[in-house]
Amino acid sequence: MHREILVKLFRLRMPSPRFHVLPWNQPLVHAVTEWLASDWTAQGPLDLSDTLLIAPTRQAGRRLREALAGHAAARRQAVFPPRVIMPEALASLDAPATGIATRTESLLAWTEVLRGIDLEAFRDVFPVDPPARTFSWAMRLAREFQRLQTSLAENGLRMADVAARGGDDFPELERWAQLGALEGLCDAALAARGLRDPQAAKIAFAENPAPLAGVRRIILAGTPDPLPIAVNVLMVHAARGLLVDVIVSGPSGVDGAVLFDGWGRPLPTAWAARTFEMADFERRVRLCADPAAQAEAIVSCAFGYRVPGGRLGVGVADAEVLPSLENGLARAGVPAFNPEGRPLKAAALHTLLSALAELVREPSFVAVTTLLRCPDVLRWLGGSPTRLLASLDELHAEHLPASLSDARTQARSRPAWSGLASALDSVVRLREELLRGAFPSNVRAALTEIFKERRFDLGRPEDARAVEAGQAWGEVLTELEAAVGRFPGVVLTDVWELALRALGDSQRFDEKPEGAVELQGWLELLWDDAPHLIVAGLNDGRVPDAVVGDAFLPEALRARLGLKTNEGRFARDAYLLQALAAFRADGRGRLDLLVGKTSAAGDPLRPSRLLFLCADAELPARVAFLFKPAEAARPNHAWQRAWKLTPRTDAKIERLSVTVFRDYLKCPFRFYLKHGLRMQAVDPHKAELDAMDFGNLCHSALEAMGRADSPVRDCTDAGVLRRFLLGELERTASERYGESPVLPLVVQLESARQRLSKVAEVQAQLRADGWVIERTEWTFELTVGGLPVRGKIDRIDRNELTGEVRVLDYKTSDKPVNPADAHMRGPKRNEDMEALPACARFVAGDGEMIWIDLQLPLYLAAVADEFGHAVTCGYFNLPKAAGETGVSLWDGYDTDVQCAAMRCAEGVTTAVQARRFWPPAELPADYDDFAALFHEGVESSVDWKGEAGA
Amino acid sequence: MKLIGHQMILASAGSGKTYALTNRFVQLLAWGAPPERIVALTFTRKAAGEFFDEILNKLARAARDPREAARIAGEIGVPALGPADFLRMLRTMTSAMHRLSLGTLDGFFARVVRAFPLELGLGGDFEILQEHGARLERQRVLRQLFARTGGELDEAQREFVEAFKRATFGAEEKRLAARLDRFIDLHQDLYLNAPDGEAWGNPLRIWPERSVWLEAAGDAKGAAAVLRHWAEGAGLGEKQLGRWHAFLAALETWAPGAPLPRELIYVLEKSVVAWAELIAGEAVLEFDRKKQTLTADACAALVALTRTVFGGELVRRLEVTRGIYTVLRGYEAVYHDLVRRAGKLTFADVQRLLMPDAGHGFSGQRAPRLASAEMDTLAGIRGAEEREAGRLLVDWRLDAKFDHWLLDEFQDTSHGQWSVLRNLIDEAVQDPEGRRSLFYVGDVKQAIYAWRGGDPRLFREIFDHYNAVEPGTIKEGHLDQSWRSGPAIISAVNRVFGNAAALARLMPGPAAERWTSEWRDHVSARPQLNGQVAWLYGDDDGARAGLTLKLLREINPLERGLSVAVLVQSNDAATWLADYLRREGGMPAVAASDLQVCTDNPLTTAVLALLQAAAHPGDRLAREHMGMTPLADIVEAAGVGPVEALTQDVLRRVHAEGFARTIETWLRRLEPSLMADDVFSRERARQLTEAALLFDETGSRDVAEFVQFAGRHVVRDAETATVVRVMTIHKSKGLGFDVVVLPDLEGNSLATRRRDGLCVQRNPERVVEWVLDLPPKLFHEHDAVLTAHVEAAEAEAAYEKLCLFYVAMTRAKRALYLITKPVGPKSVSANFPRLLAETLPSAGFDGGVRVGGWSADGAFVEGDSEWFGQIGVVGEADRDATGPAGIETLPAVSVVARHLARTPSGTKAGVVTGVSLFGSSGTSAASFGTAVHAALAAVEWGGASPEVLAAWKAAGVSEGAIAEARACLEAEELAEVWAKPVGGGEVWRERAFEIVLDGAWITGVFDRVVLAWDDSGRVVVATIYDFKTDRIGPENAGQLSTRYAGQLEIYRKAAARLTGLPEGRVRCVLVSTAQRSVSAVQAPRAD
Ligand code: SF4
Repeated sequence: MHREILVKLFRLRMPSPRFHVLPWNQPLVHAVTEWLASDWTAQGPLDLSDTLLIAPTRQAGRRLREALAGHAAARRQAVFPPRVIMPEALASLDAPATGIATRTESLLAWTEVLRGIDLEAFRDVFPVDPPARTFSWAMRLAREFQRLQTSLAENGLRMADVAARGGDDFPELERWAQLGALEGLCDAALAARGLRDPQAAKIAFAENPAPLAGVRRIILAGTPDPLPIAVNVLMVHAARGLLVDVIVSGPSGVDGAVLFDGWGRPLPTAWAARTFEMADFERRVRLCADPAAQAEAIVSCAFGYRVPGGRLGVGVADAEVLPSLENGLARAGVPAFNPEGRPLKAAALHTLLSALAELVREPSFVAVTTLLRCPDVLRWLGGSPTRLLASLDELHAEHLPASLSDARTQARSRPAWSGLASALDSVVRLREELLRGAFPSNVRAALTEIFKERRFDLGRPEDARAVEAGQAWGEVLTELEAAVGRFPGVVLTDVWELALRALGDSQRFDEKPEGAVELQGWLELLWDDAPHLIVAGLNDGRVPDAVVGDAFLPEALRARLGLKTNEGRFARDAYLLQALAAFRADGRGRLDLLVGKTSAAGDPLRPSRLLFLCADAELPARVAFLFKPAEAARPNHAWQRAWKLTPRTDAKIERLSVTVFRDYLKCPFRFYLKHGLRMQAVDPHKAELDAMDFGNLCHSALEAMGRADSPVRDCTDAGVLRRFLLGELERTASERYGESPVLPLVVQLESARQRLSKVAEVQAQLRADGWVIERTEWTFELTVGGLPVRGKIDRIDRNELTGEVRVLDYKTSDKPVNPADAHMRGPKRNEDMEALPACARFVAGDGEMIWIDLQLPLYLAAVADEFGHAVTCGYFNLPKAAGETGVSLWDGYDTDVQCAAMRCAEGVTTAVQARRFWPPAELPADYDDFAALFHEGVESSVDWKGEAGA
Repeated sequence: MKLIGHQMILASAGSGKTYALTNRFVQLLAWGAPPERIVALTFTRKAAGEFFDEILNKLARAARDPREAARIAGEIGVPALGPADFLRMLRTMTSAMHRLSLGTLDGFFARVVRAFPLELGLGGDFEILQEHGARLERQRVLRQLFARTGGELDEAQREFVEAFKRATFGAEEKRLAARLDRFIDLHQDLYLNAPDGEAWGNPLRIWPERSVWLEAAGDAKGAAAVLRHWAEGAGLGEKQLGRWHAFLAALETWAPGAPLPRELIYVLEKSVVAWAELIAGEAVLEFDRKKQTLTADACAALVALTRTVFGGELVRRLEVTRGIYTVLRGYEAVYHDLVRRAGKLTFADVQRLLMPDAGHGFSGQRAPRLASAEMDTLAGIRGAEEREAGRLLVDWRLDAKFDHWLLDEFQDTSHGQWSVLRNLIDEAVQDPEGRRSLFYVGDVKQAIYAWRGGDPRLFREIFDHYNAVEPGTIKEGHLDQSWRSGPAIISAVNRVFGNAAALARLMPGPAAERWTSEWRDHVSARPQLNGQVAWLYGDDDGARAGLTLKLLREINPLERGLSVAVLVQSNDAATWLADYLRREGGMPAVAASDLQVCTDNPLTTAVLALLQAAAHPGDRLAREHMGMTPLADIVEAAGVGPVEALTQDVLRRVHAEGFARTIETWLRRLEPSLMADDVFSRERARQLTEAALLFDETGSRDVAEFVQFAGRHVVRDAETATVVRVMTIHKSKGLGFDVVVLPDLEGNSLATRRRDGLCVQRNPERVVEWVLDLPPKLFHEHDAVLTAHVEAAEAEAAYEKLCLFYVAMTRAKRALYLITKPVGPKSVSANFPRLLAETLPSAGFDGGVRVGGWSADGAFVEGDSEWFGQIGVVGEADRDATGPAGIETLPAVSVVARHLARTPSGTKAGVVTGVSLFGSSGTSAASFGTAVHAALAAVEWGGASPEVLAAWKAAGVSEGAIAEARACLEAEELAEVWAKPVGGGEVWRERAFEIVLDGAWITGVFDRVVLAWDDSGRVVVATIYDFKTDRIGPENAGQLSTRYAGQLEIYRKAAARLTGLPEGRVRCVLVSTAQRSVSAVQAPRAD
């Protein structure tokens, strides 16, 4: 109430500001410079130090100062510049900082209030209970309320003022009354700590701002929408006798008062009616399919300028265009500069700190791997980063640790991982450090530790940026330290959340590279003087931005509260667009406007309404032009191969394992990749045992059962065998995967248990039938066709009653496997047999067969010396269906088959020694470990320089 | 304004739904409706965009052309309108653009939710999760779910593991993670729609009357013994006895959930057929055509065993179902906590929030209802007065008042979506003054999205619902004229889909009836468009692909400027066929499924391999892969050949600059390895960077995550007439092509229902009544409830399948070629080729199909075999229209001088140590320095005075800074700094300046400059004092002047310029506030 009276008084008594319209057919920044220097004689420096100048953006101020310096330099002089600020700073200019809550403190006050209140008393704000009143929830909402407070403060309002201003038919009276009450609680929470809410303080200060020392006059220049609160402050200063000048640029020959109010704000009615003339409209306005197409148009033009700085200005009204644009310019080698800066969210330090926060929250293995991949951490840990990371992946693949401590235990189990083990020790210490002591000194200590060896060379841009980030972090910590001191209840992980958010929100300003093209926001452009200007993103909702629907401040309420409205924004942008065009018209320069047809996500976009500010007669043509379908951004190019792969052909293969014959028979080339080049992928997302792990786990128990010293080798009691096998399984599993493996392992172990239980029954019966386990995990080496071949036989059984001997291999696949089917197949329909390696084919009985595996035949060859040739072979299946557990022998195996198999084996070893790994087989991608290498066929993907003709 | 009335339009393919919709919009405008009060909603963003464009273009045409104006005026029934009226409407539209509610349903719902977050139980504003974001979130949730912190499993985890075992019984249970992922894909939606555990595997819900199979079976072992005893003593034939033995043996090993062996099925089938007699205790069963009479004991035993099997199986299925439920609930609980509560919602979540009574299953409890008065009003459950208040509030917050509703593609609307809209639309339909309206249009014959909730029955239900209250409320309209297809196509479509008798023979009764009741013969609106329809025979996939190729070669559509599509039933088929056409025929065929642009070519896969090799040095596959590409030499040249260097370089870059920049660097290095004309790879390079930009937005710097993301990243191919597009029928919906080939029409019978996932029974309000993992055929065929469910589901499936074929055939504008296996006269499968056989061929057709100069075997042909002959072959030049020209540069305009910006201290040099940056002293050093500077700037002349001290305190300067500043004022060594020159003078304090020196623009601030005057008051000497607050020892004081020499030189020049003094008269003095010492810095000697 008090404030309004004051304002009214000023209106009555105050001399209105002096209002100047500078002609808009020259760049605003030059016009303002000349105006400022109009009575300067160039005898001494251009001294504007008694002037406070309000310009709309940082960049505008920067341009003005540069122009002033240039203006003076042309007269061999220099400048004492005016003090340049942005309108939002005016309300708190030279305000005392003590006793005012920081953003963080206000945030904490809000969270305290939101978590503490009885929701029943605020049912118009919270008609239903929120999901859970956690700190995160409160913080998100608190930020929203802070934003709301900031919006209201634009016109000097607080939440509590809204109810009174909402009007007679205000449908949300009660809700705003309650919001006001909440705000009151928040104020009280701050007051209890001797603090004032920052917005409240600002509003109060704006009613009675401090006198501005050394300032004789204030100039509001080229600022088409100063905040109402800033205008109020200006009124107070004017009433106190300071000179206030308002400068806008506008059409000459038109009375400024028709187009602007006394503070230089474009009048909505006037600008909504004023047509936007643009010669050559259809050449200067261009529809682009998507943000990438807009970026491309700009890049090609900027590239044409070679050094675009000073020639080309770029405005980006749609932030979606920016990433593609920056990237495109970088690719074209055109230096670019974004005066808005970059959020520190993208900085390496932010990533590192997030990883630390995660580690503090939960010492999970994932948190550890994320942390260890931070370059600064790798540097800190010393040693070889690749060895460390490779060990980390190995550890993960083999042990699937769930937590830091699991990982540490496992890492110690293998000497090769000692580097990793000590790295994990360091991480443990780091975490202890972070949990010990008080925030933020513990964080500082931890970071000092990580960066203790690091020296940042400010001459290197990357280091300089890291230093800036570090400083910003320091500020965040300082602010938090004070805040947490006042709100001691906040727990550590929440403090981390706060700190990271604060850091992520802050901006970093790069230095402008020489000759760079500046990528400016829409509101910056009025101050750009480049003769050629391209503006991207001239779309509805971007220019002007429009608010439609809001949970708190819908348009109707904004209007009633005197906040920015869509109408006001439209007038401002209509003015801006026309001003941008005006000084570039008539051959003085050029304005190109890009209109997007869709957003990056594919949402349709509409042209800016500003583009329809034309005479009625022209409207249909403009509509037809602006709503025509955009030309497809890029034609669809036919698929083309960039290059063929050229694998090295010199990898040595000096011995084979029996299991790899299968690979050769499937595809000699992939065999070479796998066993020659040893190409094996790492799966960083491995979350559970793969088939091989699962098999190994079962095998180890089965092996223990069959060992010579096994207590149950001759056991016929299924129960005893079962206990033994499960005991072994338990032991191995906990050794390999720790005491508390991740959930999928729990399930997999259960599956292994079930299968082994069934094995116990089958084994008991087998032993009862006279089968004695003669050997288990028996390793051998053969020479086949001159090449050593190694293998390990799961078990060799001898029947004590019949003397029969058989070789068995355990299979843990889900379905039982038939040995004959696993080793050979018949030809497929229409199969081109000639394409197969000759050794793979053999004639069996009535038809031709094809070898696909040689494992069991090779086993038989290996045992022949000791056990003779009458040995049978087969699989011991442990499939999913318990009923199918048991031995499956290779029926009809005879010496013919054996001989054919050995011929095939020799064929393979000979081919391997002759290094015949080509041509490859074409396999479906789903079954190909190497699918990533091949496109449109293996043979055409690879330029094989070695032997051919497998 | 007139009473506008409500309308339902049943359209046919190609009949101009969009046209009708835009006409309606224009009609509303013409009748004075403000455009912002019209809500027009459709499904895809693309359709929404086209719809809007079309309205404006229509108005623009009418505004320019009186004839066009008259035509549209006539069409919308306001004949008096002229161009001026349309111009006015056009102006209204362009001015109101930002306030229009014209877009997708998803977008509309999101807007409502955004306006009422707290009312809907959200914690505030939210972000919409896009697909890749959702994937990352799911991974995070799974990780959290799987994580163990040690010790025993907790309660929830134990429950989860148990449930998982139950859920996967009889299926793969070895891999939990992979399996769970699939579960979520398949069932998450269902769970959220039916979060109530009561609906899942609940026998009371499924069999309210109690199933006979679930009654106690009694002692199975005993029964088996009885039966065996009976069988062995009953004097049966060997075969029959064998049957019984096999049955009993199989029974012993079989467990519920496992596949049923033949031996069991054989006897059980006999048993259920004779069930009543068995119960009665006297039954005759026939095995292999021999009758056998069972004794009462044997009957009872068989009854018991049958019940054991049936009951056991059903119980198992119930358990599996409940297991799935519990697994999903466990996942959802974590998901809800981690994702939704953090304000990340999918569009489906958004919609669910608004659904009045779905009890959206977030977190497994009954979720917060839309409980505020206003949202209850949305839900339609309050009185009229509150309803009005709520309605006002919706209007208020959305800045809009909705009077008119236009809904497009209504057959795809789900019941859930409708339940949200209903409450808003109800008011419009029931508006007593008739100022509001509803208009919905769609094609129930194109309802191919049932699998994602599309509910074509709504069409009629809504109509009936409102018209039951007040007949004639909604008027029914039809669009049967095709503006897309020529007469040959339309004639074939009518024959196939309008043959009620054939449909009734081949489809389940309800499906055929539903189809036929809405069927109306189509008419071509382009009778002059000549073309051809033919049905050709090809025995297998290979033959059909070959025929496709030959057809295309003959017609040569691309050269003639005709668009062409080959439509198939699956993505795999599309990929295979496109590949075939390219490989075998050299055709520019594109599988218009989504292109995996990051992995479908050697260039980008090499870059991904490089990233992977760097971050995972143990990955030899990636490392060797890289080594087979030009990267092998490039890494050497870039000095990062050794794996060690590569890892460091890549990780450092990724962390400092993100993936896009890192990749860009490598792509640039690879550029010279590309062939000059390789536009394709360059395009892929660009697309990889775009993908990286997208990923960078997530903030993640995890290489593995990025590689995975890139693998999944897909780009829709641009629509172009210059390729043969091979795509699924689903994807072709809404498109039209001059030539359509359908070589993949085989497959399931029209009556087969999709047999994956769970069976879900809904009540007429679409509320899920029960869910059950359906047991195999034998079981569900002999249960009345399940049989009814399966029959209904099969009818639904048949209807949708027919819709799919309808969509396929109606894509064609001029020519349509169907290619199938020959349908033999004895073939009994009720599939689509069979339908063709019953409807298309005419007597007397000789089996030869001629297309141009080529002929093949087939069953039907109609139209002009030379139809394409007259369409000229387009020259190369015409086809290769170049894209939009770049923006040309502006020649010869004066350049605005731009200077290199500098700050004197910004001549950046020096080293900051990590310890000083992050240690506790780091930042306070900076703020301490600022404070000391500020304090000293307050001093004009003379030493410390009480006033100065008071002023410092008042300004809140810290104690430490005050102490240091005070010491400086009191120090003897610094007396000259504060002393006023003898001859008088002035002092600049913290004075900013701008100057251009040697072409560089310099912005600086003098700490303190003392200007000494001569007698006449002219400045004769200037002394620059620069305060340094660095903490250095006295021994290093000398270093200060070296370090800052460059900076002070600039100050000297600036001061000289500003004062007009020669540089020699400007002294520079460094003041160390810590050491309280001064040192003059000499000007470098000019040579
Ligand atoms: S059979 Fe009996 S005695 Fe022999 S090992 Fe097994 S438990 Fe021991």
